[in-house]
Amino acid sequence: MKNGRATPLIVSVCYVRLAVSEPNASARFVSDIFGLQRVADQDGEIAFRSDDRFRTVSLGKNSPDGASVGIEVWDDKALEEIARRLRELGFTVKDATAGECRRRYVQSALLAEDASGNRIDLVTRPTRSGRRYFPPRDAGIVEFHGVGLRTTDHVRDLAFWRALGAEVSDWVGDIAYLRIDGLHHRVTLYPSKRNGLLYAAFEVEALDQIMQNSYFMQESQIKIMQGPGREPASRQMFLHVEGPDGLIFSYVNGMAALDGKPWLARQFPLTAGSLCDWGSESKDVPELSAQG
Amino acid sequence: MIQLKDVSYVRLGSPDLESAERFATACLGLQIAQRGKKHLYLRSDERAHTLCYSEGDPRDQTVGFEVADEASLQDAASTLESLGHAVHAGSAQEAEQRKVKAFIGFCDPTGNHIELVVRPERSGRRYFASRDAGITGFSHIGLNSTDPARDERFWTQVCNARVSDRIGDIPLMRVNAIHHTIALVRAPKAGIQHINHQVENSDDVLRSYYFLNERRVPIVFGPGRHPTSGARFLYFRGPDGMIFEYSVGVDEIEDEATHRPRQFGFEPASFCMWGSKPAGMALPNN
Repeated sequence: MKNGRATPLIVSVCYVRLAVSEPNASARFVSDIFGLQRVADQDGEIAFRSDDRFRTVSLGKNSPDGASVGIEVWDDKALEEIARRLRELGFTVKDATAGECRRRYVQSALLAEDASGNRIDLVTRPTRSGRRYFPPRDAGIVEFHGVGLRTTDHVRDLAFWRALGAEVSDWVGDIAYLRIDGLHHRVTLYPSKRNGLLYAAFEVEALDQIMQNSYFMQESQIKIMQGPGREPASRQMFLHVEGPDGLIFSYVNGMAALDGKPWLARQFPLTAGSLCDWGSESKDVPELSAQG
Repeated sequence: MIQLKDVSYVRLGSPDLESAERFATACLGLQIAQRGKKHLYLRSDERAHTLCYSEGDPRDQTVGFEVADEASLQDAASTLESLGHAVHAGSAQEAEQRKVKAFIGFCDPTGNHIELVVRPERSGRRYFASRDAGITGFSHIGLNSTDPARDERFWTQVCNARVSDRIGDIPLMRVNAIHHTIALVRAPKAGIQHINHQVENSDDVLRSYYFLNERRVPIVFGPGRHPTSGARFLYFRGPDGMIFEYSVGVDEIEDEATHRPRQFGFEPASFCMWGSKPAGMALPNN
């Protein structure tokens, strides 16, 4: 958030770059099953759109520069401020090369790593598209909404996100919902035994699309990792679907807006009822199943 | 013309009132209004009762509709008799059992037991549910029909029902602003096909889906959404095979004068726009 500044440091979660074992096979899941529009295949990455941005998901081979989460930064001055803050806290940051920027479809970038080793790209001017989004099937996707991240060091990782201006909206146990704009959260940190992306969430139009996608996945014999369900804290409805290499793609809708009013983070106990109001449970994903 | 104001109650026979009570309270979530040796009265809203189980044959199924007053009741009796329906004038004792001032009983052309009632009792105390299912009230019934076109004529020409929409040849009919109070369902014999209770919101529909699943209550259709009425729904099976429905968001017909029934094809998407398929419950006409 603004931290007393006239403008915020960071604006949005603008992409996820995923490293998978078989990008071409995975690409079929992302477009034909999940419903994103395939737009490009360059620099070894297959790019997908979900809204008016040029791309919000990239699939690449497992490689050193293979996976990251993109966070849009207000401007280059904000980027400098973030670099200063992160270095002060002892995090690894480096300026992206021209090649790294091109691969990310951005003008400039700071490549950072949180304490768990999650690679976070802080980027300016991510590329937009002039043409409207046209999905391959009627999944009702409106926009790329946010991410869930696994954390092995939630105290240090929280310090990382706070340095970017994120604030905790609510807690479920030590799961932290992080707010970077008017909505309840865009990033969620899930304590885990390992690092990495837990899910990439895409907003759909309404409950109708959550449910239609739920039946579509059952018919397509795609595993549903959790849902349909509703987070009590954020009021967001969700459907977590198993994607390639164990990555989770989620449809979401209905998140509460906090609209800048003073907000004291609430503590919910780490129980199934704190993670889903309706009663859905995740049997296979420890981070989603209130097992700590 | 017989002016039906609203659906009032359902009466069901059951050989096992204890099981019926267990289901009605622990699963369905109704409030016990009165428990006798041979009767169980259940509340779902501000009315004194909307569902009554009597010890007996589960094939004994009756639905009650409210009419305005006793004069209307007498007119209805004459109308029905002139059309050749045998009309039973309810005795004082029978009226008391139904918690109404007066009533008549007859059979519709399929043979469904229908009662017309005057002044059904309300309760001074508010409805207090036995479990938090979010029920806001008894709302409509699915009624078996051996000949939907013939029965549609009965409900719309002898009574005041209006067709809101049709799926294939089965009509969804209203008697007030609510999209439908009577849904005819093609079936080989008379009977109540389902009993609907409204709930507060779609959260309640989804919560009950997980809740009832956990308790091994057979879910026979849903969670889903009817493209006709717009309602989000869940159908599940209760005692003696009776199907109950929770739903929310049933449209109201805004302009009575200009509303034209829409025709939906007889296919699964006309019953659920989300993609759920009936399991252990026949779609109408099947």
